[in-house]
Amino acid sequence: MEEMPERIEIKQKFPSWREMLKPVKEFEEGRLSYLSLPKQVDSEWFKMPFGDVERDFHDLKLPENWKEIFLEAMKDTLEKNRSFKLFMDICVRCGACADKCHYYIGTGDPKNMPVARAELIRSVYRRYFTPAGKFFGEWAGARELNEDVLKELYYYAYQCSLCRRCSLFCPYGIDTAEIVWWLRRMLSRVGLNQRFMTISIEASSRTGNHLGLLPGGMYGAIQQGLEELKDYTGFDLHTYINKKGADILFVAPSADYFATPHWYVMLGYLLLFNELEEKYGLTITWSTYASEGGNFGTFHSYEAAQLLNSKIYKEAERLGVSFIIGGECGHMWRDKHQFINTMNLPPKHEEWRRFWEDPDLGNLAEGLRGVRFDSYASGEHGWIHILEFVAALIEHKKIVVDKSRNDKWIATYHDPCNVARGMGLIEEPRYVLRNVMNNFYDMPEHTIKDKTYCCGAGGGMLADELMDLRMRGVMPRMMAVRHVYRKYGVNILLTPCAIDKAQFPHALEYWKIPIEVGGPMEMVGNALVMTAFGEKPEDRQFDLRGEPLKPEEGE
Amino acid sequence: MIGVIFGVIVPYIAVAIFVIGVIYRIVNWANSAVPLKIPTTGGQQKSFPFIKRTIYDRFDSPYTWWETAGRMLLEIFFFRSLLKNTRYYLDRVSQKDARWLWLFGILFHYSLLLVLIRHSRFFLDPVPSFVETLSEIEAFKGVFIPSVYMSGLAIVAALFLLWLRRIFLSRERTLSLPSDHFALILLLAITISGNVMRYFVKADLFAVKELLMSLMTFNIGHAVEVANTIEPIFYVHFALASFLLAYFPFSKLMHAGGVFFSPTRNMPNDNRARRHVNPWDPADVPLLAKGITVAGRVYKSKKLDWDTYYSMYTDQLQEIEEADYKIVPEEL
Repeated sequence: MEEMPERIEIKQKFPSWREMLKPVKEFEEGRLSYLSLPKQVDSEWFKMPFGDVERDFHDLKLPENWKEIFLEAMKDTLEKNRSFKLFMDICVRCGACADKCHYYIGTGDPKNMPVARAELIRSVYRRYFTPAGKFFGEWAGARELNEDVLKELYYYAYQCSLCRRCSLFCPYGIDTAEIVWWLRRMLSRVGLNQRFMTISIEASSRTGNHLGLLPGGMYGAIQQGLEELKDYTGFDLHTYINKKGADILFVAPSADYFATPHWYVMLGYLLLFNELEEKYGLTITWSTYASEGGNFGTFHSYEAAQLLNSKIYKEAERLGVSFIIGGECGHMWRDKHQFINTMNLPPKHEEWRRFWEDPDLGNLAEGLRGVRFDSYASGEHGWIHILEFVAALIEHKKIVVDKSRNDKWIATYHDPCNVARGMGLIEEPRYVLRNVMNNFYDMPEHTIKDKTYCCGAGGGMLADELMDLRMRGVMPRMMAVRHVYRKYGVNILLTPCAIDKAQFPHALEYWKIPIEVGGPMEMVGNALVMTAFGEKPEDRQFDLRGEPLKPEEGE
Repeated sequence: MIGVIFGVIVPYIAVAIFVIGVIYRIVNWANSAVPLKIPTTGGQQKSFPFIKRTIYDRFDSPYTWWETAGRMLLEIFFFRSLLKNTRYYLDRVSQKDARWLWLFGILFHYSLLLVLIRHSRFFLDPVPSFVETLSEIEAFKGVFIPSVYMSGLAIVAALFLLWLRRIFLSRERTLSLPSDHFALILLLAITISGNVMRYFVKADLFAVKELLMSLMTFNIGHAVEVANTIEPIFYVHFALASFLLAYFPFSKLMHAGGVFFSPTRNMPNDNRARRHVNPWDPADVPLLAKGITVAGRVYKSKKLDWDTYYSMYTDQLQEIEEADYKIVPEEL
């Protein structure tokens, strides 16, 4: 926390178009990401080109022919990805996206406007790939690629959280996330990778999860969760791990095994799974091999994303599950909704095939008949979001919930960017929250749902060295939270995203908003009446934080 | 002589560049692969039947092909994404709408459409009746003499407004490249010269039509003959328009064609129902495990398949096996 800036001043600057073409020479502290070390990008598990050199931002130690390699990578990208090529060509610089970026709002740096961020690479594209740029140079908005430009590209490519808010407002749907994602891929071809994300990518490609947790560690973490639940509820609960023949594989972001407030969500999952097994006989297993729902590869490149998400379908096949449920995570759902079944072949094993022919939960556990997934999902994909799952259970009255148990909370809900704009999961969480608690208020309309503001730490920006950028980027979100805090007395900010849950406690402290952070599944866990264990609505004394459900008199 | 150059040679070259250029650009875009299905979802996805979707959700987060087509049509005819525009104010929590850009954009593009439809009278014989009707309506026939076409004036006004935006708004000034100003200036010059010709310095429109008809039927001898009889003011307008045509495929004006190709808009949000296939990745083994080649060297990452994983962490995995894959709270 000591690295946070004492005071934030937003200086807006409006340089001329010529100034904009010149690479910046000064790099603000708190906004420049560290470069990867060889142990992250020259690992046998994650080997990136020229990763064997220890670099410093002031001495990039680029390979001799880096320019050719970079331009070759760009040519490759133009052929491999239509959206990149198109977005290089069709921008009219209308400025609609400019003030949509939370980093631009927070920093005032003109090159953080989405259009300007794209122009950084577009100017290089014009110089080397268009006739106008070749002939007219600067006057056509083109510029030479040199080391300063490359530094600038790195600096600004890693000041974008890939939240896609700008893409929503663009009349042509130009998606800065797409441009930046493929730009980062080009940068990685000349040996420039960001340290924070490659630490996790390397760990995940070696151990199966970002934290580098080994099977025993994960086992122990879940076990501790069960022990805590015994203290809070008095029930002897259990869960499965790596179990062949289970009905469902459950995959959560690895932060849920340890971090706070992720932990409370983890306890919520465990309560739900036990109730379903005891009541209906539905078995849900965890896996130590597919132990990571998140995918930091989606911040880095297509190939890195694929390397990390290739494990999960394989594990589903090995365990013989019927489908997969995914936990509360933001970018995970961009990966699991839009990427995973293109990057990998979906499972073909018997149980999977049979279930998806008639995807009714009744075929796995008779009592759950009626909960069907075929209105939007198929065996070509096979993932269901935990909140969709809970919404369906509530709608079909398969679980009993007691709203009043969450009465001490007055909640608001933050839509994670990728869940809202990369998937469209907007009403399901609200449906769940309205059913498990009495006090729920949305933030102002232009800051939620598809227009949601990023937490400022997504896309690899959760690094500690970026604290200045993070606290600035989160400002629009914090102002909206402050609004509902003052107006409705909101005391908890709920979000189904692991990165949000890591960023918001810092941000709320920094912006002096004294409220808690949690996840929707924590509220579900509090409200869930464990009927199969003989629990009555009034029996539960403690919430999942171990505090009394009803505040004592006089408090 | 001017007539032959600007009335016959230049327009032929310009049209040729325009047609070949636009086709080239479109083929060039189409040749590029679409690796992933990445619609930007602007509304509630198709979900369980009890999760209600509004009509806006259907178009902002389309699931079927007709909803996707609807999204594209709304985008093209109503600039739907621009219509969502809001400004950010540091000191305000409430939403502040700023749809001036949308208004100016709509004004310009629809005026342009009307102007182009009116110009079709020079290329078609007989002139279709709807062109006549449309022209009469927009001129409020009978109110002014001669008829004043609203679209011709509106387009100049809209172009000025769009240009003033780029000059006086600080953000837009920073973003605007010379080419952005150039496109607006060129369009202004064309529209103003057209209006001047219509209301002040008249040209012989029957001759113009004869010229264009003979150009279109490649009756070059007749075209040359007619071209030399037309007043110079026509050639100002005509040469600028020819230049615009030739400039079109190389400029940002290609957004007119590009908008149809945008993967964040023209793909349905049905990832979980239908699998998208990446043409350059068979998806059997991760590409990094196959190895990527950069500057002649292959970089290959080791693949963590189950067997490798098992051999690396055998002890711990065996303990889990011994516990029968079940986790229970530890006995105290």
